[in-house]
Amino acid sequence: MIAAEIEDLLRRLAPQVLGAVVRRYGNFDLAEDATQEALLAASMQWPVVGLPDNPRAWLITVASRRLTDLLRSEHARRQREDRAGRWALTERGAARPDERAASDTDDTLVLLLLCCHPSLSRASQIALTLRAVGGLSAAEIARALLGSEQTVTRRITRAKQAIRDSGIPFALPAADEIEDRLTTVLRVLYLIFNEGYAPTAGTALIRVDLAQEAIRLARMLHAARPDDSEAAGLLALMLLIHARHRARTAADGSLIPMAEQDRSLWDQAAIDEGVALVTAALPRGPVGPYQLQAAIAAIHDEAPNPEATDWRQIAALYGVLLRLDDNPIVALNHAVAVSMVAGPQAGLELVQGLAADARVNADRRFHAVRGHLLEMAGDRAGALEAYRAGARAATNIEQQRYLNQQITRLQALPGTVP
Amino acid sequence: MKYMILTFASQQQYQEMVGHPSAQPAWTQEDWAALAAFMQAFSQELLDSGELVETRGLSAPVHTRRIQLKEGVPVVTDGPYAEAEEVLAGYWVVECDSFDRATEIAARLTSCPGPESLRARAYADVRPIDEHQPDFEG
Repeated sequence: MIAAEIEDLLRRLAPQVLGAVVRRYGNFDLAEDATQEALLAASMQWPVVGLPDNPRAWLITVASRRLTDLLRSEHARRQREDRAGRWALTERGAARPDERAASDTDDTLVLLLLCCHPSLSRASQIALTLRAVGGLSAAEIARALLGSEQTVTRRITRAKQAIRDSGIPFALPAADEIEDRLTTVLRVLYLIFNEGYAPTAGTALIRVDLAQEAIRLARMLHAARPDDSEAAGLLALMLLIHARHRARTAADGSLIPMAEQDRSLWDQAAIDEGVALVTAALPRGPVGPYQLQAAIAAIHDEAPNPEATDWRQIAALYGVLLRLDDNPIVALNHAVAVSMVAGPQAGLELVQGLAADARVNADRRFHAVRGHLLEMAGDRAGALEAYRAGARAATNIEQQRYLNQQITRLQALPGTVP
Repeated sequence: MKYMILTFASQQQYQEMVGHPSAQPAWTQEDWAALAAFMQAFSQELLDSGELVETRGLSAPVHTRRIQLKEGVPVVTDGPYAEAEEVLAGYWVVECDSFDRATEIAARLTSCPGPESLRARAYADVRPIDEHQPDFEG
């Protein structure tokens, strides 16, 4: 088995091992450290001495042993500090290392809910999820998020302390709470996906592929909650967007808009899987924003060329999405779709309705969409002004370059007054 | 030891870089692609050697807000820099064995591609990061 396969196996086993150890011994924060150490030991030993007969049991045994050490030294430390030892080994019966818990998927779900607990900051939720469920090391997470390892380690430590101090049990939340809690998990996974999809720091350093990682985590969630239509919708959405990733960037690193992409580079297998997921989820309901966005992405992905795009359906779906979620960026997308069906003037009227919306009227995307629609409507002077406002508002060099290109292109057209 | 490598640019130079002529002509797509490729390879090499702690590029100086006391009251000024004033544009924090090694890394930035007029004026600074040093080594 090559090192990369061992790495994959370890990442897959990470949440199962952590889940098993926490269920036996409690102490999420120390159990997480112990699991990390077991994974590290395995990643060093297995490529040399080969895989143990039962890798999962091996990891649980090593992690449990390590946890016992950690608990002992923690106990000793507390005694030294003259505090009452509040911990106790909560081992439930003898641990049979070969037992195959029937509840691996439950454990994954409990872990996801715990890592995305509402008492944690968004940044901590992301870091802890990548570590405890994704099985990534602090160094890998730091590289993936382009931050320093110290910051990530501190964030994870603080998050684990917060979980310990709040006494949140390692169990599924109450039935009336679980829907809200799942919404947070979905959002965290989608943020991880987007972080991988659009590097925020301007340089596209090779890093752990966060988009792939988010898809893997969404798959785990979908496996744990197969009837949850929004979990299915999120996985579908990620697959349907990620299917286009090879066609998104030119050789010089610049972004290629969807209408100009080489669609033969789109990943058909991912499209098929995403379409199947969203097609099964939508009629089951309840309909939510991820399913709707996935349905929109599916319509784009299924069009053999840009002209064949079913904009009528896309506009209708954005309309439904807007009713669920009053989000100005959704409103902008809705306006673009409407303009493709009913002409630029209809789109412009919708965009005009956002001109007083402080959430978006200073955003480069507002100006860029306005510029595009004004240009379609034949108002070049207005389009130029809008593109210029967009370029002024943009803080990302790549996006500024894109808007300036639109300005240069418009100015070069015969008859444009600069 | 940790060192910070700093690069500088003016609002005018940012304008040219994003495709808008200013004191000098605008950069072409090729100019920009060459710079992006160089910077990516430069940072990737530091990442691979384990010397990179962190790197960021900053948005154009025009997006700066300055906060200072005026007659005892905190006042915010938007875009406080002159167009031609060169200010911090980006940085790398590297962790390496010596000041000389950090200097060697920074010196590689002199082969960064770009319009000649800019290359002739561009510079990078290297500064040790103020960290607690043990009084007695070893």
